[in-house]
Amino acid sequence: MYMPNTPILDITNIHKRFGDLEVLHGISLTAEKGDVISLIGSSGSGKSTFLRCINLLEMPEQGGIALDGEEIRFKEAKSGRIASDEDQVKNLRSRISMVFQQFNLWSHLTILQNVTQAPVRVQGLSQTEANEIGMAFLEKVGIAQKADSFPASLSGGQQQRVAIARALAMRPEAILFDEPTSALDPELVGEVLGVMRKLADEGTTMIVVTHEMDFARDVSNKALFLHQGKIEESGVPLEMFNSPKTERLQQFLSN
Amino acid sequence: MLDILPEWFLSWFSEDGQEMIAYLTNGKHLTWYASVRYTLIAAVLSALFAIGFGLIGAALKQSGFFLFRWIGNFYTSIVRGIPDILFILFFPLAIEQGVEYFIAKSKCTAEQLSAIGTWPPCQEAQWFLTTNDYLFMACLSLGLVYGAFAANVIYGALHAVPKGQLEAASAYGFSQKQVFWKFKIRQMWVYALPGLSNIWMLLIKATSFLSLLQVTDIVYWAGLLGAANYFPRAGMVHPNWNFQYYFVLFVFYIILTMLSERFFNMLQNKASRGMSVVEQ
Repeated sequence: MYMPNTPILDITNIHKRFGDLEVLHGISLTAEKGDVISLIGSSGSGKSTFLRCINLLEMPEQGGIALDGEEIRFKEAKSGRIASDEDQVKNLRSRISMVFQQFNLWSHLTILQNVTQAPVRVQGLSQTEANEIGMAFLEKVGIAQKADSFPASLSGGQQQRVAIARALAMRPEAILFDEPTSALDPELVGEVLGVMRKLADEGTTMIVVTHEMDFARDVSNKALFLHQGKIEESGVPLEMFNSPKTERLQQFLSN
Repeated sequence: MLDILPEWFLSWFSEDGQEMIAYLTNGKHLTWYASVRYTLIAAVLSALFAIGFGLIGAALKQSGFFLFRWIGNFYTSIVRGIPDILFILFFPLAIEQGVEYFIAKSKCTAEQLSAIGTWPPCQEAQWFLTTNDYLFMACLSLGLVYGAFAANVIYGALHAVPKGQLEAASAYGFSQKQVFWKFKIRQMWVYALPGLSNIWMLLIKATSFLSLLQVTDIVYWAGLLGAANYFPRAGMVHPNWNFQYYFVLFVFYIILTMLSERFFNMLQNKASRGMSVVEQ
């Protein structure tokens, strides 16, 4: 049933601890279609952990995740809380794709195989169909000529663009970016940010953990500033950057 | 053999040469050449066992359950410490006597069982093993010994697979099973192959112990044919030629290992296609 007001992602009150260390103290986020949300904050603020909780790469101890209004179901196990329905997790992950800081392309597969692997084996597309879609997205990120190369022969910037094509080939409802430019040489950052701007302009829903303040300010329409596992300040990026309300954000921006 | 060779071929050789050909193609020599099959079968079968035991051992070593982990570590540390030649002698004997013990318990009388000094206690309990049975048991022994080495290699290789790539596979909706088989095991081979190729070399060389178990393999025949050869009717055929015969074995094993090396290089190239992690 289509409900116009249902957000794509509705994340509420996420708590996460590693041993005795509580990393997230109740973080919420709502992503509507077309939102570009930046998560900013110094390292150790929990922003990457929060992003990884969204597709359950980390299992939050508390809090809810709803995709298109459908709540993920959890149950208690010996090791703590886990998802109770594996198919539901698979469904979540195949609709929300992810781009990693270290690219994490599969090194034994060619570029095109990297892009088509999940659409074929997880979403059940035919190889021909997936190849067609894959080539179109490789074209989009400007790397189609490398389709038959292996990841190791590509530069970091090229690998990250392939990783973005891999995320797009799932035709996801939202893409999670985990510091996508942090592992890149300075001169390669531009090409990746360029692709991300293009995606944002086309209305792709994106949640981006980033240290690129220009990107957060100019491209995103929402920003969350995290500090020690809490949302310290959130709002429209332009306003936040021009007149930060909290002292911590002022300090963070002046660095 | 001489009579089936064409005239033009034999005409290349002197009379001595023709005699040599006749000697080298007599029945015993043909049997010797054919016995290469035992060596090759043993190598391949042992290798398959070793891979099997290696995978099981590695799985045990990284199990979450402490007892499995303990068994895996016990296997790799104990078995690696025993010389393979002892294992080959001990293991088939242990199985044979074990089986005979159980047969004896049901077939022999109590009187026979309590008698000291004879094994098996009664004729019915005797388990006759054919060459093929011994061959199989030798392969099982070699597989167990080299499986312990393979388990260590595979265990290390599983840990060498980049975590990020496995995480990416999970993040894209692959099931745990798919992540394990399609990504972890697939990439594991790249890291394991150099170690496994070493084990294969050792294993090939260990096939020369087959004759210890009465398998009439190339080493057995070389010893037999190389010994001084005297026929009452024909007189001395040749004196002690052990040196020459064992030299042939040297060359055979060197060729076999050289071919193996080529084969492994090919496998390595195929498995690590495009991956920069392994120097080529």
